[in-house]
Amino acid sequence: MLRAFRFIVDLFTQRHGVVAFAFFLVLGILMHSASTAVRESIIESALSTVFYPVQLLASSVNNFKSLQAENEHLKEENARLRQETYHASEGLQELARLHTLVRFDDKWDFPIVTSRVVGHNPGRFLTTLVINRGTRHGVKDNMPVFSMKGLVGKISKAMLTHSRVQLLVDPNLKLSVLERRTRVVGFLESMDGRLLSAMIPSHAGVAAGDTLITSGLGGIFPKGIPVGTVRAVRKADLDVMSLMDVEPFQEFSTLEEVFVMQKDPDWIIQELLDE
Amino acid sequence: MSNRGWLRTLLLFILVFAVQTTVAEWLEILGVGPDFVVVFIVSVALRYGAAAGCLWGFLAGFTQDVYAPVEWLGANSIAMTIVGFAVGQLEERFLTLNLPAKIGVLGLAFFVNDMFYFLITGLEKDVVTNLFVTKTVPESIYTMVLGGILFYLSSGKKSDV
Repeated sequence: MLRAFRFIVDLFTQRHGVVAFAFFLVLGILMHSASTAVRESIIESALSTVFYPVQLLASSVNNFKSLQAENEHLKEENARLRQETYHASEGLQELARLHTLVRFDDKWDFPIVTSRVVGHNPGRFLTTLVINRGTRHGVKDNMPVFSMKGLVGKISKAMLTHSRVQLLVDPNLKLSVLERRTRVVGFLESMDGRLLSAMIPSHAGVAAGDTLITSGLGGIFPKGIPVGTVRAVRKADLDVMSLMDVEPFQEFSTLEEVFVMQKDPDWIIQELLDE
Repeated sequence: MSNRGWLRTLLLFILVFAVQTTVAEWLEILGVGPDFVVVFIVSVALRYGAAAGCLWGFLAGFTQDVYAPVEWLGANSIAMTIVGFAVGQLEERFLTLNLPAKIGVLGLAFFVNDMFYFLITGLEKDVVTNLFVTKTVPESIYTMVLGGILFYLSSGKKSDV
């Protein structure tokens, strides 16, 4: 076994690493030129067997630490609360907090799955998250994902125990949006995997500070989820359209928990996706 | 590379990705952060040569590819394999590089990596130009500064493993 390993190492280090270079370069090119199904399969296998367990472990350690701190905090709070006599006001406060938590559920009438973010891109471009909920918990491909602040993205691949979330800044995610004040519809995308921009008809008079929400037209996201605010309006290549820089309500790198809306895509969209 | 060297590099690999997903975010200034993964590949290639540079470059790139858009799978792997090989070749051709040369190589590796990545992903020309100005240039400078400090600190500890 060791001799075989040594043989491979010797083979790869021949000619100043040219053999190794050619091997890995060809492997990379093969992966890049493979069909989407094969690429999905490669990512799914790597994620399920290596990366998700490692990240889950790391995330659990962090979670354990935060639970310890939270536990201490809760003990103190509990002691304080015992001394308080105004139980009714506490109950009301808790009710208000819980109402905020479930307001999305009330508004859209779709069940919500709460999940924890266990991993994200280890690179400089954040386009994907991994969450600890999968098909076992009722999560399916293309379900909308949001946080308390607004839209986060959608499930790009649901696996048994975990799922990949395609963030709004993924250049391959295009989204139909509605400007709340003018009610004009446009579309949102990220061209560079970093910043969000929206294309909206110029005549509508959308200005910096205006709010964008989901339009519900794409068939995947329901209407009315807050997306972000217009930061600046720029001239697009087409005079009839304005290009806008958009600041998302949710900062993606700081996400710890997200909600998955158990909403299947509209039937016509589902047919297109299946095709 | 000895067995101890393999193990050490593997542990460093895990540590680098842990640092990149945590510390690198805290060190961000106006959205500009360092890339410890490139520092790792350059360090490995400089210490162990082109073959090790290719291997660890490919593994690091693949780790990033798993979390990148599906359509871009392989882009990081290819770019970082090229960087690992090129830096390893430099080390083998010029025997030992001094600290300023290593920092220069790190900056060059950063540019090469980003250029190949942008090329493979097929981003539009104006998007690449914008990313180059707002991301590649400031982040390469930041990475060179931090990488320089790490190279300086590790130079005293370099041993034959």
